[in-house]
Amino acid sequence: MSDRLDQLEARIDELRAGVRRAMRVKDTATARALRAELRAAERSWDTLVTGGLDGSPRVPDGAPQGLVTVREQAHQALTLLGAPAQPRLIAAVGEAFLGGTLRGSQLTSLRRDEERSFASSPYGRPYYLCAALTDRLAPARGLLTVSTWPLERRMVGPLSPRVDFLTCAIAVARHLSPDPRAARLLARMARNIPGGAAGDLGPPDPDRVIEAAANELAVHAERDTRDRADLAERATSQLDDRARLFGGTTLITVAGAAATAANGGAPTGPPAGPYVLGAPDKGAGATAARTKTRNTPTRGRR
Amino acid sequence: MNRLDALRGTTPQKPHDARAIAALAANPGCARRALLDGAGIDKDAAARHLGFPAPFGQSPFAITRGNVFEALVKADGCAELLRMLRELLGLPIAEVAYHDVENVGAHLRHAHTRALFDRAARDGGDAGTVYDHPLLSLDIAGHTAYLEPDVVAFQLGGRFHIVEIKSFAVIDGQADPSAVAAAARQAAVYVLALRRMLRELGHDPLRVAHDVVLVCPENFANRPVASPLDVRRQLGVLERQLSRMTGLDRLLDGLPADLTFDLLPDEDGLPTRPAAELADALRGATARYAPDCLSACDLCFFCRDEARQEGATDLLGRHVRDELGGVASVGEALGLADGARDPAEGQEEIARLLRNAERLRRECLA
Amino acid sequence: MSLLTSLARLRALDEGIAQPIATVRHVHLSARPMVFIPLKLSGEAAAPLAAVLGTERDRPHLLVVTQPRNRDLRFAWAAELAGLLLPYIEGFLAATETVERRNADPYERALDAPQLVLPNPAGVAFTRLLGRSTRFRRADGPYPVPASVPLLGRWLTYFGERAAFPGSSLMPAVTEELGRHWASGQSGLEDANLAAQLGWITEGPSDDAEDPLIWPPAGPATDPGFDAEVLAPAIESGSAERVTEALRTQLEPTWRLMWRAIDLLAGLPEGASVAQRWEHDRGSFSGMAAQLAEGAPPQARRDGAVAAASRLARLERAQAAYEVQRAYDDPLVMAEHRLTGEAFAGEVVETDPEHAEGEGRSRKLRPLVVIKTDDPVRLAPGTALGTPQRRAQGAQLVSARDGLVTLKITKGMGRGRTPAPGSVPEVGERVCYTSLTDDFQGSAALPEAEATPWTHGGPPREYEPGDEDAREEWS
Repeated sequence: MSDRLDQLEARIDELRAGVRRAMRVKDTATARALRAELRAAERSWDTLVTGGLDGSPRVPDGAPQGLVTVREQAHQALTLLGAPAQPRLIAAVGEAFLGGTLRGSQLTSLRRDEERSFASSPYGRPYYLCAALTDRLAPARGLLTVSTWPLERRMVGPLSPRVDFLTCAIAVARHLSPDPRAARLLARMARNIPGGAAGDLGPPDPDRVIEAAANELAVHAERDTRDRADLAERATSQLDDRARLFGGTTLITVAGAAATAANGGAPTGPPAGPYVLGAPDKGAGATAARTKTRNTPTRGRR
Repeated sequence: MNRLDALRGTTPQKPHDARAIAALAANPGCARRALLDGAGIDKDAAARHLGFPAPFGQSPFAITRGNVFEALVKADGCAELLRMLRELLGLPIAEVAYHDVENVGAHLRHAHTRALFDRAARDGGDAGTVYDHPLLSLDIAGHTAYLEPDVVAFQLGGRFHIVEIKSFAVIDGQADPSAVAAAARQAAVYVLALRRMLRELGHDPLRVAHDVVLVCPENFANRPVASPLDVRRQLGVLERQLSRMTGLDRLLDGLPADLTFDLLPDEDGLPTRPAAELADALRGATARYAPDCLSACDLCFFCRDEARQEGATDLLGRHVRDELGGVASVGEALGLADGARDPAEGQEEIARLLRNAERLRRECLA
Repeated sequence: MSLLTSLARLRALDEGIAQPIATVRHVHLSARPMVFIPLKLSGEAAAPLAAVLGTERDRPHLLVVTQPRNRDLRFAWAAELAGLLLPYIEGFLAATETVERRNADPYERALDAPQLVLPNPAGVAFTRLLGRSTRFRRADGPYPVPASVPLLGRWLTYFGERAAFPGSSLMPAVTEELGRHWASGQSGLEDANLAAQLGWITEGPSDDAEDPLIWPPAGPATDPGFDAEVLAPAIESGSAERVTEALRTQLEPTWRLMWRAIDLLAGLPEGASVAQRWEHDRGSFSGMAAQLAEGAPPQARRDGAVAAASRLARLERAQAAYEVQRAYDDPLVMAEHRLTGEAFAGEVVETDPEHAEGEGRSRKLRPLVVIKTDDPVRLAPGTALGTPQRRAQGAQLVSARDGLVTLKITKGMGRGRTPAPGSVPEVGERVCYTSLTDDFQGSAALPEAEATPWTHGGPPREYEPGDEDAREEWS
């Protein structure tokens, strides 16, 4: 068996070198082919080295846990929050309050699936997870809402992201459970609200958070309510049912298209290379721009 | 600028980004780089085609980390960022208006940015506070480069602040100086672009603060911390370098009329021009190689190879070159040291030093 | 870098092999060095990925964080590292000598001290950060870690601080030490690549050294291509074995290079002052151990104003002493000063050993020596001189012209009417004199910490690491 292992290791090294060589000259076709071979060799190695005992193949990431589950979890989290939210926050709420195993990355394609379902049989479902709408009545990047909410709540005026954040913070404080993950989530939100956190340490005081958030809300509420009402009125008069839920224009994936042509937003990590002292003028170009995804969800960073 | 387009030939233009523009200032004396950048040539592709791929790359871990950190700073309507701006710059509580410029289609984003900033500069009080991923532009030698700062913040005393989000850590109040310097150079590009935009719109360019807001993770956690960063010096260097770029004509005048750096790409974008021919063409424009190029320029290995073949003292670094008082070749310097070569006019002093150094080394190593 | 070194680099480039710029070794080499090669996760400040370490070249210990984003695994890794490093470090504390001091109590000094050998300055900096990220942890409370982790943090912090001390050999970086002894035919920037630098010294340059497939970087940063093509898929697969094997391939080549470099340095005879500097290291090490034994708190996050100023003064003094000692120990280093005219060497052509100044009771013996030299002397009459040949001797320049230097000896020739035998150089002897001397001005008077002026923040508060320090995230 160790002979086989040796052979496999030699083969793996060879393939790896091949892949990296191909990548260096940007020969992606060869790299892809070699990579596939490499994965196969690595799988054989894994099987062999574990003696086939631990043969339980790992569930690949993103394995279907049933769309309904993810959808329902997101729905529950959004209902708890009561305001448009980003996948990241939805996942955190799901984890802290609903015992969920939701990951932000699972939510990225949700809106499109919902829109497709709505298109094929409108109002076939009791609720849809849909878009928040910008002042151009287009879907706002990375926000999820629930179709059964009043339209105003799903609008995004200039102050709305802040108002929604404060609303969410109050909701999280109200539902605070003994789960340490809930306390951590609240602490993280509290420190971004003036007067919300006593110090850096100790569990956050939910009453204090609610009071602080309400105080700041009072500053923004009037203008935000007005902005949202205006937008909702426009949405009602200008958009059909589908667009009212999922946005006036087709979904835009700005990041990809724009980035290749005009990206200056370089990845924030320092570049690396044998002689890199400062930052080379690399990485901000096409390669890095394409790999850059907005709203990258965090996962399991604890 | 037709001449520059001829240098590029049929190869599509490579747009500049902020880092590339910032790097222009790194080696201002290099005519090769000035011409390639001025013509918008993809140096990375050229280097690879020549068989000298650049030694840089970015780890996927670093890229992910950068993206995750930026997302965290901007999450929930920039909640973290607002906290920092309130603490650092005294942003009033009422100022929270958020504009996600990326909500607009790519082709409209630049125009949208102009309209937003024009309105902000005009109306002041009622304008937005945080602009996420606006799209600015800057003319580089007749070509427009589009630039995308992480965030522009307004409503701090009626001034615009560039916010630069970087994922290198600030530990006990200290960060890697080279990383900070690179961030400052990059941010200066944004400041300049935004200032020019305001000037075109008829506003006072100095409403863009020269203090940028640098946001980094603090210590070993993900928690962001903001620090002000004065980029006046970097701005000065950059403006000087850009004004020099517009003086490319002088460099162009010295080139053979038929010189071109065209890669002759086929329909798949793969270069078809014989590499040796491209190398010859590039040698037509003088480079000034320095080891620093190894961290800044895609063509570094090509130019280093050239310097090796020429036996140039540049290989050993600027310090050595300066110490040799401008003796450009290794053979010449060693000849002066051995006494095999008579010093030219003006070389007497360095020749005396080299001869002495040679004598001392021989004596000590005997 | 001096012109002499520049010339050596030119010669190296011309001949295709590195040239010596030292004739003796200026770094202490332990009989049992701990070679330590850490790797970190790209994009993170101090997230350890792996390390290989050990005191025997055929027994490297590989420690891997198989899931680098998992905080618990990271601390487990730190505990494993402590399990190897702490016994090594503490093993030097048993055998001590008693050192008497003037105006102070005698203290115990370890007879030998640990030596961590890192590949490069970045490795040293990373080790310091590892210390910073672990020294405030606690074995009790909300995020407990094994007790060995904070202790390791304090030691690594100590080693990191000591590495900044000129002439200390407690934690040398190999590329720096090689660069102090050999000039390669490439730039200083390129010398930071251990494989490339070592290539120049041994076989001559090779492009292989820059190919990460052949010679992976010596850390702590990994090759981005390796991260993308090997490490990321391995981590994603969840197979600890695969991650471990992947990292082993990145560390093993460097492990071999490190021992090769140690052999090269060991091949040079030790400089005369190396033992003295190592003695300081041993004293400093024992001092740190005593502080730990007395239960002192972890090192503060930042120095107070007085501590920072006095630290700076100590560093400057150490730097000056280190430069002088190297020149005295090594004619090739002294040659740099001869080139600039601050030193000269040559043959004694005439002496007047019984020359004296003054009369009667104030009569002083001042032997005269005339030296013929080819060096360009740029020293004024009256300049105090020292000589590597007779370190206790003091002299003064009388005149220098036409390649002849006259000096008078003022110290170190005995108290009699005639000089002690051997204290005055003989005609025909080769000697070297220099204005560099090892006696320094005392440090600027700094106030006690309690008397820090308000301009510098006032007296610092006693440093008490708090809960916040202990619970700081390490993510």
